[in-house]
Order: sequence, then C-alpha cells, then structure tokens
Amino acid sequence: MKLSISRFDPERDRGPRMQDYEIERAPTDHMLLDVLLRLKGQDPTLSFRKSCREGVCGSDAMNINGRNGLACITRASELREPVVIRPLPGFPIIRDLIVDMTRFFKQYHSITPYLVNPEPPPDKERLQTPAEREKLNGAWECILCACCTSQCPSYWWNPEKFVGPSGLIQAYRFIFDSRDRATEQRLEDLGSDPYRLFRCRTIMNCAEVCPKGLEPVHAIERIRLKMAGIADEAGGLDVHPPISPT
Amino acid sequence: MTGGLTASRLTGLRAWWVQRVSAACLLLFVLFVLYSFARSTGSYAAWRSWVADPGVTLAFGVFFVALVGHMWVGLRDVLLDYARPAGVRNALLVAVALALLALAIWAVAILVRLHR
Amino acid sequence: MTTRSGLPVFLNLAQIRMPVGALTSIGHRISGVVLAASVPVALWLFDVSLRDEAGFERVAALFERFAFRVAAVIAVWALAHHLLAGVRHLLSDFQIGAPLRVARRSAWFANLAGLGVALLAAAVML
Repeated sequence: MKLSISRFDPERDRGPRMQDYEIERAPTDHMLLDVLLRLKGQDPTLSFRKSCREGVCGSDAMNINGRNGLACITRASELREPVVIRPLPGFPIIRDLIVDMTRFFKQYHSITPYLVNPEPPPDKERLQTPAEREKLNGAWECILCACCTSQCPSYWWNPEKFVGPSGLIQAYRFIFDSRDRATEQRLEDLGSDPYRLFRCRTIMNCAEVCPKGLEPVHAIERIRLKMAGIADEAGGLDVHPPISPT
Repeated sequence: MTGGLTASRLTGLRAWWVQRVSAACLLLFVLFVLYSFARSTGSYAAWRSWVADPGVTLAFGVFFVALVGHMWVGLRDVLLDYARPAGVRNALLVAVALALLALAIWAVAILVRLHR
Repeated sequence: MTTRSGLPVFLNLAQIRMPVGALTSIGHRISGVVLAASVPVALWLFDVSLRDEAGFERVAALFERFAFRVAAVIAVWALAHHLLAGVRHLLSDFQIGAPLRVARRSAWFANLAGLGVALLAAAVML
C-alpha cells in the first residue's frame, strides 16, 4: 500500500512536507489506523493522535484523500492510492498530523455547553417526555472530532468569530433541551451579530464528512427558525449513514 | 418561545429575513422583467409605452427595491467573510452602500422620467 | 500559510475534496458577484433604451456585437445558477429537501440546469 503523509517537525522543518511510504497490507489491516500504527514500526517519528480505535473518541480525525474522516473507521481497502493524508484543514499544525484544537474548544465553550436551570433540583431526575428527548437525537451524538468544522469554508475564513458546525450543533443540543432555561440568552448570543451563527452558507460540507452521519447544517437551520419565532418541527435531526473517505 | 427577544437585538436574523423576503420578491418579478425585455425587441414606441404603463412602472419599482436590498445583504456577506482588517472592511461596506444608494436613485429617476 | 502563533496550516483548496454542494455554493457566490457587477450595466441599457429613439437603436446595435453577446451568455448563466441555487436555499431554510441525500441531488440539478440554460442561451445568441 502506498501512502503520502504530511510531515512537520517544528524544530527542523520550515513548513510541512509530504513523505512517501510503502507497506505490505496485512490481513489484520482493516482500517487506516491499523496501517498507520504498523507504519510507526517503519518510522517511529510519525506522529498522530489516536485512542479508542473504534470511532467514538474523535482523536484520529485527519484529511484522507482530500476528505476529513476518522482513521480508525476508514476502511483501508476502499482508499485510492497513493493515500494522501494531511492534517485537518485550517487548524494550526503542531507536528505531523497533530493539530492545535484550542480555538475549536474555545468556540465550543463559548456556546455554554451545559444545562442552565436555576430551579431547585427535583428528588430524582428533571423529567422529559419521550418526544422532548427525541429532539436531541442527531445532535447529542457529536464526538467533537472537528471533521465538520475543519471542512467548513466559512470557518476557514473566520475561525475566531464563526462558531463552526460542531459548536453550533452542540448549541442546538442545549437550545432544544426542554430542561434548559437559558434559551433566550443562547439565541441572543448567536443571533445578535453577523458572525457567530450567520456565517453559515448552508454549504453542507459538515454533513458530508461527519463520521457519525450527523447534519450540523440542519441544526443551524432549526436554530434560525427558532430565532425567527417559527414553530419547530417534532423529532430530532436527520442522521445518515456516514460517508467515508475513498 | 422567543417572547422576550425583539427583532432589533437579533441583527444577524434581520439581515437573513431581508435576503429571504427580497429573494422571494425577485423570484416573482424576474420572470416579469424577463418577459418585459422580450417585449422590448419591437419598436422604441412599443417598448416605452409598455414600461410607462403605471402597473408596469410600479412592478419595476418594486423589483428595484427588492434588488437593492438583496444585493446589499449578499455583498455585505461577501465582505464580512473575506475583507480584513476591520478598517478596510468597514470602508468597503460604506462604499458598497453608497453605490447601491446611487443605483436606487438612478432607477427611480429613470422610472419617474417616463411619466413627465 | 501560517497562523499568528507561527504554526503552519494546511489550506490548499486544490487538495481538499469539494462535494457537489460546495460547488453549488461557490457558484452561487460567484454568480451573485457577476450579477451585482452587471446591474449597473443593465440599468444603463434600461436608461438609454428608454430615453429616445436613438438610444433604443444604440442598445439594439450593442446586442449585435459578439463580445457583448458573450457577456450576455455569462450573465444568463449567472442568473440561472443564482436563481436555482437560491430556490434550493429557500426550500432548505424551511426544511424542504433538507436531508443530505436529497440535498446532493438538488445540488447536482442546480449545477447542471444552470449550465444547461447557459448553453441554450449560447446556442440562441452566438
């Protein structure tokens, strides 16, 4: 299997450069992550993040043949060769495929990602009907991998001011949670300037690359409708079978 | 739902509404405008009397208003995305706003002149 | 490319896959700018053609010129694409044709139909 991987050593390189690799695919190399881990046997300096190896932690998000995805759930056999692997677009590169997620998490924190409810807590849980709980489907599953945000052109041009698809789908998750009492403040925070939410042009790159098949673009549309006072529909957000890089 | 929120606080939303409403208006009127231009291939007299018809003049007037509103939101979006630093961006926004104002005045002048 | 912190960034658009919806979207923006640029020209033609007989003839003569007709075809493409992509946006705002699979099909339609109209205009005018 032939691969071409972006390398960057901040102590030695002036900028990222592509390095070619060749490796025999073993029968156990089902996913791209398996190949990358065995590549480290050839070249121990190759650096990337990884953890759960099953598509739930979001650590190994990277740009594979031009399209963001998680290396651990991208089938190695389906990839066009040479497999071109680069770090997530638009994010500062710390080393090789490892990017700086600080700004991404700053945007996440800026949408108040926790339930705000000053009412005294009940004996057990704050209750929700099944219909109310269903509204969160298609949003709570976000694993904060940053595939969507780093494939969004609007985020590329304004990463400091536009919250990005991931932050906004998380904002949706709290705006539409029946137990939250800060809806007005959340909506005002997102709608009172032209950047935080309204940079979204419905390009839909986010939905295309989400490894969990989520559709942040529609979360954003629903938030807009709620701001406009238009009645929101029942049910959660659409989820589609994830589209892997090829 | 959003009982306490007034439109004036949600400035991002206001621009979005202007763009959507003007788009719907333009959709209706662009067909009308194209039809008008098709009629213009006749003589000068026929063309002039068509546009000078009060109903047609009004339709063109509504079209231009929607057009200027739509152009403003669209061009503003392009500048907000790409123009930096803030000083340059604001200067360009002002320039575009003035140009659009000039276009609007010009369009009104053309239509008014027909009814002298 | 580097950020303010001095760290490099990967942002080579030629190496990033653009799904069909992204093409519709950038086409929508480009066609919008083209249309915005052509509005003053169109307004001038409108003005001159209504002024007097001589003005009307002048505008008619312009349409005979090849270069002008090419510009008109480009403007037709811009209008067609902007309109189709715009309608797609309006429907999507109100949750019609929203899920990804459906949205991709409508993106293909908008892209191809816009080009189709332009080709038709070219056939008629050139």
